[in-house]
Amino acid sequence: MFKLNRDGSSKKKILILSLIFMGLSHLIFLKQYVKGVFFALIELLFILGSPQIVRTIINMVTLGDPQPGVPSKLKDNSMFMLIDGIIILAVVLIFVVLYFISVKSAQSTYKDYCNFGSLLKNDQALSSLGAKAFPILGLAPLVLLVLFFVIVPLVFSASVAFTNYSSPDHVPPNNTVDWIGIDNFRSLFGGDATWSGAFGRVAAWTLIWAAAATTTCYAGGLFMAVIMQESKIKIAPVMRAVFILPYAVPAVVTMLVWQNLLNGSFGVVNRTLIELGLITKETIIPWLSDATLAKFTVVLINLWAGFPYFMLLTMGTMTSIPKETFEASKIDGATRLQTFKSITLPSVLYQTMPLIIMSFTFNINNFGAIFFLSRGLPEAVDSTITRAKETDILVTWIYNLTINLNKYNYAAVLAVCIFVALAPFAIFNFRRTKSFKDGEF
Amino acid sequence: MNEKKEIQTANPETGNVTQEARADIRAVKAQQARERAEMLEEAGKPKEPRTVSKTYYNSVQRFKQRVYLTFVFVFLVLVCLLVMYPLIYAISAAFSPGKSISNINIIPFKNGFTTEHFVRLIKETNYIRWFRNTLIIATGTSVSTVFVCSLAAYVFSRFRFILKKSLMLMLLVLQIFPSFIGMIAIFVILHRISGLDTLWGMVLIYLAGNIPYNTWLVKSYMDTIPRALDEAARIDGANSATIFLKVILPQAKPIITFLSVASFTGPWMEFIFAKLILRSNENQTLALGLFSFVTDKKNEFTMFCAGALIVAIPFVIFFVITQKMLVTSLAGAGVKE
Repeated sequence: MFKLNRDGSSKKKILILSLIFMGLSHLIFLKQYVKGVFFALIELLFILGSPQIVRTIINMVTLGDPQPGVPSKLKDNSMFMLIDGIIILAVVLIFVVLYFISVKSAQSTYKDYCNFGSLLKNDQALSSLGAKAFPILGLAPLVLLVLFFVIVPLVFSASVAFTNYSSPDHVPPNNTVDWIGIDNFRSLFGGDATWSGAFGRVAAWTLIWAAAATTTCYAGGLFMAVIMQESKIKIAPVMRAVFILPYAVPAVVTMLVWQNLLNGSFGVVNRTLIELGLITKETIIPWLSDATLAKFTVVLINLWAGFPYFMLLTMGTMTSIPKETFEASKIDGATRLQTFKSITLPSVLYQTMPLIIMSFTFNINNFGAIFFLSRGLPEAVDSTITRAKETDILVTWIYNLTINLNKYNYAAVLAVCIFVALAPFAIFNFRRTKSFKDGEF
Repeated sequence: MNEKKEIQTANPETGNVTQEARADIRAVKAQQARERAEMLEEAGKPKEPRTVSKTYYNSVQRFKQRVYLTFVFVFLVLVCLLVMYPLIYAISAAFSPGKSISNINIIPFKNGFTTEHFVRLIKETNYIRWFRNTLIIATGTSVSTVFVCSLAAYVFSRFRFILKKSLMLMLLVLQIFPSFIGMIAIFVILHRISGLDTLWGMVLIYLAGNIPYNTWLVKSYMDTIPRALDEAARIDGANSATIFLKVILPQAKPIITFLSVASFTGPWMEFIFAKLILRSNENQTLALGLFSFVTDKKNEFTMFCAGALIVAIPFVIFFVITQKMLVTSLAGAGVKE
C-alpha cells in the first residue's frame, strides 16, 4: 500500500492523496516530513478558521442589518464587513495557490523518484527545498504587500461602485450600506441629468487635458533637446542645469508658487503687466478664474513643469542615433528641418513610444498639477451639488467626492472608469516589452 | 556598439556573445562600412557646377550660421528666464518681510532682506519635527523599496515559475493607478493593524505604492546583466541568495541607486495620504506643515516659500549633480524596447 512504483503508475495515487489533504502524499509516500507537516499545518489552520471565513463572507454578502436602538459602536459596520470579506477572499486565494503548489511539488518529487530510483534523504530534501523556496520567499513580501495594500483596496473601491455607500443616508457606523447593482453607473451615465452632465464634462476635459499635456511636454522637450544638441553653444551644460530645475523642485511647491503668482488681483504676473501698462486694473487677466483661460493656463504651466523630463529623455535617446547618419545627411545637403523630420524624429519617437503612452496615463492621473495649481476652480454651474469644477479631472473629482462630499459610491464608479480606460494602454505597453517579445513567458 | 548590444541582449538564454552573434556583428559592421563608402563616393561627385566663387559661398554660409546661432542663443536665454521666473519670486519671497503675495514687490528682492521667516519656522512652528518625521518616512520607504523590489526583480529576471506571466502583467496594470483611489480601504486596513497616525503606516503605504512600477524597472535592468555571471557563481557553489547579494546587486548598482533616490524623494511632498493617516500634531510631515501656510483661510506665502526653500535646495543640488546619470537611467530604464 505504501510502496511506490517506479514506472510512473503511482501517479494517480500521489495526485489523489495530495488532493485529499495538503501534504498527505509528502508524509506517507515521499518521506518529505518537514514539507508535509508544513503543508498539513496550513490546511489544518484553514479548516479551523473556516467557520470564521464563512461568517465573514456571509457578512460581506449581506453587509449587515440596520439595528435601530443599538449604540452605533455595536452596530453592524457595513464597510468593515466589506473590507474584511475582501481580505478573507485574498487569504482564501493564497490558500488555493499554496494548495496548487503542494500538489505540483508532490508530483515533481514523484517524477524525480521515478527517474533516480530513490527518495532524497531528509537533509538533502531540505537543501533542495531551500533552493526551490527561494523564488517563493523572494516574492512573498511583494505579493503580500501588493495583495493587501494595492489589490484589496482597489477591489474594495470597485465593489463600492455597486453599493449605495454615500452621505447622508448610508454612511456607517450609523447606517448600513446595501448592494444596489448598477444604479450608480446608470445615474452617472445619463440617469441623473446633473450628475451625468458633470461626468461628461469632467471626462471630456480629462482626455483633452491628458492629450494636451502629453503632446505639449513632449514637443517642448524634444524641441529643446534638438536645439541644445544642434547649436553646440558653449554654455549648454549650464543651461541644461537651469532647464531641469522645474523637474528637480517638487511639483507641489512650484504649482503652489504659480498659483500665487497667477492670482487675479494681487498676483505678481498681473501686477507686472499693469506696471508695464499692458493691462489696466479693470482688465486684469483672469488666469485661473475664467473657465476657458484656466484650462489653457494649467496646460501651459504643466508644460513649464513637464518639458525637462522629456528633454532629458530625448537627449538620452538622441545620443544613441549613430553619428554617421547625421554626417551622411549633411553631405547629401539635407537642411536642418529635413534632418530632423527624417532622422531625429522617427528614431526618437520609436524609442520613446512606451514612455509617451506612460506619460499619457500619468497625466490622466496627474492629481498634483491640477489640485495644487487651480484646485479645480473656477466653479461650474453644477458645482454646489457635484463638486466638479471647471478644471477638475477625474482623479481630483474622486478626491473631492471622497473627502468633501462623502459620495463614495460615485467616486468608486469613476475609479472603475479610469481602470477600464487605462488597462488597454498598460497591456499594449506590456506586449511591446523586450521580455514579452523574446517569448520569456 | 549599438548593434552589438542588441544582439547580445537578444540572446538571454546564453547571456554572453555567442559565436553566431559575433558573426552577426561582423556582418553588420561590414554592411555599414560598405554603405558608408558608397555614401562618401556619392558625396564626392560634384552635384552641380558651382557658379559662385567658393569664398563668397562660404562667407554667406558663415553669416547664415551666425544669425541662426544668435537667434538660438536669444531664444535659449528667454526660456531660461521663463524657467527661472517663478523660482526667483519664490526665493525672493522667502527673504521678504510681510506675509502674503500681495505685499511682494513685482521686482524681486526689492522688499528688503530678512531671515525672520526661517527663524519663525524653527522657533514658532514644528518645522524641525516635521522635517524629522519626513526624513524617517523617506528613509524607511527608500530602504524597504530597494529591498523588496530588487529581490522580487531578481526572482522575476532569473527564475521560471508558475503564474509568472500573470504576476508581471498584474504589476503592470496596477502601476497605472494612483494609490489614493483605494484610500478608504487602506485607511480601514491600517486601522485594523493599528497603523493609523504612525510613521511606519506611511512607510507601508508608500512602499506598496512603489512596488508595481519599480519592480518592472529593476527587472528590465537585471535582464541586461549577463547570465554567465550567475552561472559561473553557481558552479562555484553559490546559492541563490549569495548570487543575488554578491553578483547581481553590485552589477545593478546604477538602477539601485536611482531607485533608492527616487523612492527617497517621493514622500517629501506627498500630501493626500499624509493628510488622511497622520492626524496628531507630533506626526505631521513637511508637506502638511507647508501646505497649512497657504490654505483658503490664511495666506502666509512668504513662510511657505522659506520652508519649501530649505527642502528644495538639497533636491536641486542633487539633481544638477546627477543629471548625467539621470539621462542614462531615464532613457535606459524607461525604454524597455
